[in-house]
Amino acid sequence: MTGDGGAVDGAAEGLAEFRTDLDAWLDGHTDALAPGFEGAGTLDQQMAQLAKVKRLVFDAGWMRSGWPQRVGGLGGSTLTRAYLGEALTARDLVEPGLYSMTEVLAPTMIDYAAPELAAAMVPALLRGDETWCQGFSEPDAGSNLAALACRAERTDAGWRVTGQKVWTSLAQYAQRCVLLTRSGPPEAAHRGITALFVDMDSPGITVRPIGTMHGSPEFSELFFDGVVVPFDRMLGEEGGGWAVAMDLLPFERSTSLWHRAAFLHRRLQELLETAPPGAIDPYRLGEATQLLYAFRARSRATQHRMAEGDRLGPETSIDKVLLATAEQTVFDLIADALVAEVTMGDDPVSGRWRTEYLYSRAASIYGGSAEIQRNIIARRLLDLGDDR
Amino acid sequence: MDPGDVTLFERSLGDATRRATGADLDAALDDLGWPDALIDDPQVAVSLLFRLQGESGATSSSLGRVMAHALGLADGSTTVLPAVGGCAPPGTVDDGWLRVDGLAPATLPDRPTALVVASTIGGATSACTVATASLDLHPVAGLDPDIGLLRVNGEIETVGSQVDVPAGPWPAAVALGRRAVAHELIGASRTMLDLACDHARGRIQFDRPIASFQAVRHRLAEALVAVAMAEAMLEAAWLDPTPDTSAMAKAVAGRQAKTTARHCQQVLAGIGFTVEHPFHRYVRRTLVLDALLGTAASLTTALGVELVDQRRLPPLLPL
Repeated sequence: MTGDGGAVDGAAEGLAEFRTDLDAWLDGHTDALAPGFEGAGTLDQQMAQLAKVKRLVFDAGWMRSGWPQRVGGLGGSTLTRAYLGEALTARDLVEPGLYSMTEVLAPTMIDYAAPELAAAMVPALLRGDETWCQGFSEPDAGSNLAALACRAERTDAGWRVTGQKVWTSLAQYAQRCVLLTRSGPPEAAHRGITALFVDMDSPGITVRPIGTMHGSPEFSELFFDGVVVPFDRMLGEEGGGWAVAMDLLPFERSTSLWHRAAFLHRRLQELLETAPPGAIDPYRLGEATQLLYAFRARSRATQHRMAEGDRLGPETSIDKVLLATAEQTVFDLIADALVAEVTMGDDPVSGRWRTEYLYSRAASIYGGSAEIQRNIIARRLLDLGDDR
Repeated sequence: MDPGDVTLFERSLGDATRRATGADLDAALDDLGWPDALIDDPQVAVSLLFRLQGESGATSSSLGRVMAHALGLADGSTTVLPAVGGCAPPGTVDDGWLRVDGLAPATLPDRPTALVVASTIGGATSACTVATASLDLHPVAGLDPDIGLLRVNGEIETVGSQVDVPAGPWPAAVALGRRAVAHELIGASRTMLDLACDHARGRIQFDRPIASFQAVRHRLAEALVAVAMAEAMLEAAWLDPTPDTSAMAKAVAGRQAKTTARHCQQVLAGIGFTVEHPFHRYVRRTLVLDALLGTAASLTTALGVELVDQRRLPPLLPL
């Protein structure tokens, strides 16, 4: 039942070779890649580890595979970069949520930035020299993104940006921001939005990290006070920011989530190895395993569709719902099986279980809440018409 | 089969499953060359036919043929199916007697012989050809009489009354049978969802279609997620067609069919509870299909027990 046999077999062959070679390289560089901390580590430690690993795998060529040559990549199937993320996660070398930002922001830059800008900027992100953030949500524009109000006004010097963003992941580490601004009148709604690529060291930007319940302040409030952004930093057209957002969000809901299956598989395996006898309810373990494998199967199919050049769209909301369901089911099981560690353990290993359990609660909130995903599924996939 | 052939075959099978059921569908499948397709491209033959059977509610004797195919018996044989809820071979051989407790399609009496896979005291299995006349056959009414199953019982002296035939391993037959039933569950789930969406779009209350209410939309979205999850797991089971992945695919398809039924029934509300609407047929069918070759509940518990015991997850499907 394979369609274009030649192309598919070629990609599969390339992936198999990449996989073998990468695995061998990772085995040979265990010490250089290993994190220098125990347990989950602090966010600072995780970010330093991420930068170290990205630089090593970029310099060895692995991180360049699957990205276009015009942004410093080596070309080849996008499946190779999916495998890289999976392999790094499975070996516990990177925190998967932090790593995934590259898979969200680099494709947007490649598709929408002027070619010279993309060529100048993307390699620094891939190599881990830079961190980028995504300034989308605002206090009054969360699920209703089209209501965003952060103003961009044309001046002789460029766009002048004034306003506020929130839930901006890794903003306190970021050198650049992919920013959605209101360039037209508010009543233009999604038609009056312009996307900009902003240097985070520009005068007028204030970043305030926000404490989180899982203990890792991974997102921030961002304040823009008359920040000047040159015109050549526009992504897409003036007033075309909605298209940038709509093309970015499917990545956030699908391909960037791929390596979470490897993460959940590793943690569930570690649960099996460490749980006290009788602590795991077999039915719940069976169900959690099935949900994890089903999410993995769905996510795998999405990776293959992307590799074949398909445009990702509203169907990726299903991937996101499946991930949230699997992740929360797995960690509900973990929290009950390791109740002493999660509730009262003060050692690094217990702290990590606790942090990850708490973070799993966010899986149905970030990247578009479970309710927003279901709204998209109802309108776009089930053709149920408007909801009012 | 190339993609064009698959499309044509799918269209023909779709016509057949909408038009015919039972013995008529068996005859139509023979005319369409489905038995040859089962040999040439089992994935295409099984996935298309069983999904379409599930969508239309038609039945055939194909499940027994699929399991016979997996046993290496490509002569059009049909095996007796395991008894309700289980996956053990329907026969046991002990002390010169073959005891049979299983299920078969309503067309079994048209055949002179039946193939019974039996376990022996030593744990081995053998396949026996048994005269149909030597078996007790009783129609199963139960929850879904339309599925057309017979309960098959018998105690047959093995000497002279049966012929051993060489056959492949039983777990492989169960695995392929589970993938087939999973397709049928998914097909039935798709129809339940279509019925509920049609109803939600057309039913007006408070001067608007009930499809415009978020409580209704989210139930239907939940049902689509359930179906998509079962489809993804089943596709993975074909890529790595082991007994373990097939059991997971069957369990997920069974559980997700019940999830789909629950949400769709609530959206269909009163009309979906009547026999004037087709929905009830699919509720009945999915419950009975879940009970064939191991329920979702029993397969899920068995998986968990095995994992706790081994302390080792199965590997993830490679990218």
